[in-house]
Amino acid sequence: MKQLVDQVLLKNRVTGEFEVAELCHGIDETNLSHIEGRWRPMFELRRAQAKASGESMSDINAEDGHWNWGSKVLAAISDPFLYDIFALECGGNTQALLLTCKGSTDCFSRHPEHPKADMVYVEFLATAPWNRPRLVAEPIYKGAGRVLIGTAVSLSLGEEFGGRIGLHSLLGSEKFYRDAIGMTDLGVDVDGPHKGLRYFELPESQVTDFLTIQH
Amino acid sequence: MKRTMTLNLTEAEMNAVEQMCEQKGLSKTALVRQSLRLYKSVDDRFSRGDRVFVESADKSEKAELMVL
Repeated sequence: MKQLVDQVLLKNRVTGEFEVAELCHGIDETNLSHIEGRWRPMFELRRAQAKASGESMSDINAEDGHWNWGSKVLAAISDPFLYDIFALECGGNTQALLLTCKGSTDCFSRHPEHPKADMVYVEFLATAPWNRPRLVAEPIYKGAGRVLIGTAVSLSLGEEFGGRIGLHSLLGSEKFYRDAIGMTDLGVDVDGPHKGLRYFELPESQVTDFLTIQH
Repeated sequence: MKRTMTLNLTEAEMNAVEQMCEQKGLSKTALVRQSLRLYKSVDDRFSRGDRVFVESADKSEKAELMVL
């Protein structure tokens, strides 16, 4: 079931105006139809263009473009005990999606400030292709990814995890998590299910800064 | 929607809960919630026929986790 959680403002970079976006807990068939009918064709078009021009998926900010969103979402919906899914909607479209887990082996901190402390793990965070710099010449909404990281932090606070979150980043998103969000880079996993991906955490000591700094 | 339950524990069990709450920085509610998630995620693995092992820090011992 989809429930409105909050209303936030997203900057439309084309018009320069802020627009009201709705943050929802849960998703519905409309969101899935946006992903399959609007996100996927755009990803596929750009992937084909990139292939022809010799660019990598990281170069065009589309490493996750081949993900089977539908199956990931359905798996999450079937286990609400562990997973939460959020959708950010604005302008009649799904602008970003977030899937979090609050009870798996990934939900224990590796940060030296609080090793093994409970935290929320971000399974995936994806913004619509038309919001991505490098993927399109003129990305539309700015701040969708940050809103959803804030949502994960809020969830962590609500679960009494101190706002701690962790995630594995695709290559093209590392700079965003490290520089824009201020997460701690804890290196690349050398084995396990996330082998080869760089791991980031937002430690409890950085949560206040993240929530208070105006972006 | 959240629902409330009353839990009857022995002195030893309550001591263990309070000790873990202190260590983890969690309330009793949050601790029970996390414990349940962990129990369920392990139980789900067992239900699928998976096996769960615990390895010592120096990797010299490895034991299969059994849940009653």
